[in-house]
Amino acid sequence: MTATVTPTEPAEETPGLLARIAHRATAGGPINQVLVPLAAVVAALVVGAVFITFDGSNPLLVYREIVSAVFTGRRGFSDTATAATPLILIGLGYAIAYRARVFTIGAEGQYLVGAVVGTAWVTAGGISDMPRFPLIMSGLLLAALGGALWSMLAGWLGVRFGANIVISSLMLVYVAEAVLAWAVRDGIKDPDSFVNQSRQIGPATLPDLPGTSTHIGFALAVLLVPVAAVLMARHRGGFRVTAYGHNPSALDANEVRSKTVVLLVMVIAGALAGLAGMVETAGVSGRLGAQASVNLGFEAIIVALLGRLNPVGVLFAGLSLAGLTIGFESAQREFDLPSSLVGVITALIVVFVVVGDALASRGKEAA
Amino acid sequence: MDILFKIETLEAAIRLGIPVALVALGALVSERTGVLNLGLEGMMLSGALAGYAANEATGSPWVGLLAGVAVGACSGGVLALLVVTARANQVVTGIALTLLAISATTYLFQLQYAIGGIPPRVNRLGMTPLVLMTLACVVALWFLFNRTTLGMAMGAVGEAPEAADALGYRVNHLRWVATIIGGGLAGLGGAALVNGPLGLFIGNVTAGRGWVALALVVFAGWRPGATVAGALLFGLCDAAQLRLQGTTTDIPYEVFLALPYVVTLVALVLRARASRTPAALGVAYVRGAH
Amino acid sequence: MTARPQSALDRDGPGSRGATSSGALVEMRGITRNFGDTHALRGVDLTLRGGEIHALLGSNGAGKTTLVRILAGLDRPDAGTVDLLGRPVARFDPKALRSQGVALVQQHFTLVPTLSASQNLVLARPEGILIPGARAARDRLNTLIEYTGLSVRDDVPAGRLSVGEQQRLELLRALDADARVLLLDEPTAVLTDQEAETLLNVCRTLAAEGRALAFITHRLAEVFDGADRVTVLAEGQEVISDELVADHTRAGLASAMIGQEASGTFTDRSGRSSENHVARRLVVSGLSLGRLEAIDLEVAGGEILGVAGVDGNGQFDLEAAMSARSIPDAGSVAVDGMVLEAGNPRHRRAQGLAYIPSDRYQFGLIRAMELADNLELGRVPRWRERRAARREGSVAALDHWNVQSAGPAAQASTLSGGNAQKLVLARELNGEPRAVLACYPTRGLDPNAADTVAARLVSCADDGAAVLWIGAELDELLAVSDRIVVLAGGSVVGPFFPPYDRAALGLAMAGEASDDQP
Repeated sequence: MTATVTPTEPAEETPGLLARIAHRATAGGPINQVLVPLAAVVAALVVGAVFITFDGSNPLLVYREIVSAVFTGRRGFSDTATAATPLILIGLGYAIAYRARVFTIGAEGQYLVGAVVGTAWVTAGGISDMPRFPLIMSGLLLAALGGALWSMLAGWLGVRFGANIVISSLMLVYVAEAVLAWAVRDGIKDPDSFVNQSRQIGPATLPDLPGTSTHIGFALAVLLVPVAAVLMARHRGGFRVTAYGHNPSALDANEVRSKTVVLLVMVIAGALAGLAGMVETAGVSGRLGAQASVNLGFEAIIVALLGRLNPVGVLFAGLSLAGLTIGFESAQREFDLPSSLVGVITALIVVFVVVGDALASRGKEAA
Repeated sequence: MDILFKIETLEAAIRLGIPVALVALGALVSERTGVLNLGLEGMMLSGALAGYAANEATGSPWVGLLAGVAVGACSGGVLALLVVTARANQVVTGIALTLLAISATTYLFQLQYAIGGIPPRVNRLGMTPLVLMTLACVVALWFLFNRTTLGMAMGAVGEAPEAADALGYRVNHLRWVATIIGGGLAGLGGAALVNGPLGLFIGNVTAGRGWVALALVVFAGWRPGATVAGALLFGLCDAAQLRLQGTTTDIPYEVFLALPYVVTLVALVLRARASRTPAALGVAYVRGAH
Repeated sequence: MTARPQSALDRDGPGSRGATSSGALVEMRGITRNFGDTHALRGVDLTLRGGEIHALLGSNGAGKTTLVRILAGLDRPDAGTVDLLGRPVARFDPKALRSQGVALVQQHFTLVPTLSASQNLVLARPEGILIPGARAARDRLNTLIEYTGLSVRDDVPAGRLSVGEQQRLELLRALDADARVLLLDEPTAVLTDQEAETLLNVCRTLAAEGRALAFITHRLAEVFDGADRVTVLAEGQEVISDELVADHTRAGLASAMIGQEASGTFTDRSGRSSENHVARRLVVSGLSLGRLEAIDLEVAGGEILGVAGVDGNGQFDLEAAMSARSIPDAGSVAVDGMVLEAGNPRHRRAQGLAYIPSDRYQFGLIRAMELADNLELGRVPRWRERRAARREGSVAALDHWNVQSAGPAAQASTLSGGNAQKLVLARELNGEPRAVLACYPTRGLDPNAADTVAARLVSCADDGAAVLWIGAELDELLAVSDRIVVLAGGSVVGPFFPPYDRAALGLAMAGEASDDQP
């Protein structure tokens, strides 16, 4: 070991950009947490306005239509809430994992596995005769368990063997898609149907919130937000997750073996994604088909980032993104816009968040 | 099982495998220098659109290929700017760019060819020129990494950037170059898909093949020849499961769907233990921080 | 030795090109280098002549590595001049200096682990756009191997070579670039005796060709076996400057290395009562990890055991094992008879062993978190209090330990070095620990902060804790320790009792047995 003269200032550590985002998210004031995503949204809307004008419509009218579609009329908000539910659930999982700087991208796969496991359970002969409440609960629980195990697989490969979690979680997404394909064709296929899909889940369908046309999955998602927030802020596990993201060595030397934190966040993220899978099947589609997931996994990453890896932020980001999508559907019909425009705006938001943080920290470095 | 060895299946394997192989070679180049490019799917798609548009405008599929390379290389430049210079997190930035590319290409395509109208088919290249082109890329990359100083330096940058820096090699410059080359190859793959077997463009035409390319590189241990072989293997599995879909066999065809990814997972574990992964993969380089 | 490769020295002969009349290839004059408040080098001169081997001696932090890094272009001086081959050095850049003939072989190697030895050579000195074929590269390597007698396998990636082989490869790489000035930083630290001897022989041959060699070492045997001249640095200044080795004795050099007596800023415990508290409170048995080979240590309650030694003799491993950060290959650590569970930091804390890490920013604190949170690290209850309550609760501790900051909500990264260390102490020493593992606790601190920290640790001992103090500055250890042991070569030498004999300690640290030792 080199004989050293230790400088009195601490060695400058220049973490990568997401680390800085996460750093700001946890250590920065509320202004910082809100300012960058807000600016990114505004910037994306401005660019979107340019595209809309190009297309021949008035952007202000379009945006007004979006807002009114979401807020006025119960239908609008119900649709938004329904669309936001899986985004919030999966987004919470990602927010926690990314706080620990564990960059899993496999939620899509965990979602599918959760859906398959849950659906298989509630449509199985004998089980489907259970009373409704235990049936739903057990279905959701098993779905969460399935997603958790699927995610644990990638986590275990990473911790035990050093496999890159990004790639392994991605590979498991494809394996999950194959599992889904087999399940709806053979495993849990509805014998009375020509199309590849599972049986109707019938009694396990999630009831709606009283007085609304939104299923209770939304309430579940919203309830989990403060639970996650409290756990992250006040529970020892939350401390360990955040600490691991900043400095795994300090954790190893003082608190707990850092590997356990990686597995913990993978389990949580997987459970939430699996839960989302069953919630969607039981609340929206009513049965499991071959086209089960539509890019939800990646949209949830946007939600997590936009929400600054903060449970409450995830809630708002999920609602915002869902609202934008739902509202745009209505505006698109009204103004004859290309349907892909909303995807462009959404993607621009996250790109601007990334760019914005890059600019901000370069500015900080130069200062 | 003999369905695997029918000529049509093998032909299909090559058809399906070549575009992916090109993208995978792009992944290989950037990963050798330590840059994990999760924007490949987006770059492939962008290249596909550019390739289609250029072909449609000029009538020449070769111009289309060139356009694909150009667009892909530009995307690579954007990624390099964010990830190498600004040191943004490679995972998040790559995904963000891919999402943008997916929606942007669909949008631009919808603008040009309104829904309902049938986009014109374009002149296609036969398989022979594409196969030759891919082989040329393999040879060129093999030559680069095994016979040139530049290639050796790139590998050093991905394995031990501090050592390379101490020897005077400019780590960030090399990463920029690799990311641009990687993007260009990905764009070429997309353009090859559209100007070759398909002959047309539809929204999200790449359907996840860019992600597959990432897996391929791991599976092949970051070697050009093995990467293409792996792509053909993927193509074979792809072709097999397509053909098996209609038939009744003991083995569900979904096994073939999942097989390449399972094998990649195994390879990932084995490779990680054998330390084949470029040691600095995914980590931004800062002098003095190590 | 077989015919050696073509060299610039053939054309010029030793000392004829670029050397001054005294044959000096390198003249460094008045080199000053500061890192913040630390004066690493204060007006140091160094002269390296062709045909000579020059030893740089000094204890930790004396400035030897800094001086050598400046010469190699990895650092630049704040003041002073460097003349290389008769011309002043304008640009301190590693590549430039390497091309001018200076090669540095450092303690941590800059090899690419996946490339073979010959490939590493090619990478360091490429021959154009194309790399030579495997055969040609191998020939290049073999020529150097034959010429020096240093053998390195070429059939495995460099990462799989033994440490000795890796170092030989580094040296071969330096020679491949035909370096005229070779700098070696602790070259024999990782070698067996036999390998060390081979290395010294090679050095002599290289010097005989007219190259100038300098090596940093703390082993006196090497100085006398291998060097012609010696310079001893202490605290950034020369104690012995450019003198012939033959003019000195081992004991004389050892004393020079330790340096003058310090002004006694550390709390002096010589007058302490030695009434004993609990005997054998902190016990290390048969601990093996890394450099350590089955070492045993015992500290009684109320006692401070100082662990001295040059960096790299197992202090890092001792720290890692005792803090539960690493699981040792063998052996155990026990507090008050309870064996600590390996790899379980909470158990360590629960049993009352406090840990002051050597690198407070890596192992002791989380810079991005606030002070209140850092105080909880390692003792976080399952359910934490509200943030406001946590902050309020931490104010008392921060005041008691005099941590100067912008408040409990401030981030740990805003603290100065001294206050950061006090924060660590506030956490670790709170609650009357039974034993304390203090690793270089005053490293990098200004004298005031250092004094405060030392005083706090001493009062811990006075309260009955068994304190194991791993230290770098001998003065500090001499002032506070009830007993001192030395880590050298993987085992424990000592114990030494007060009044301490600096010369004996210096010899032990330098790997020599003195007359008093059994």
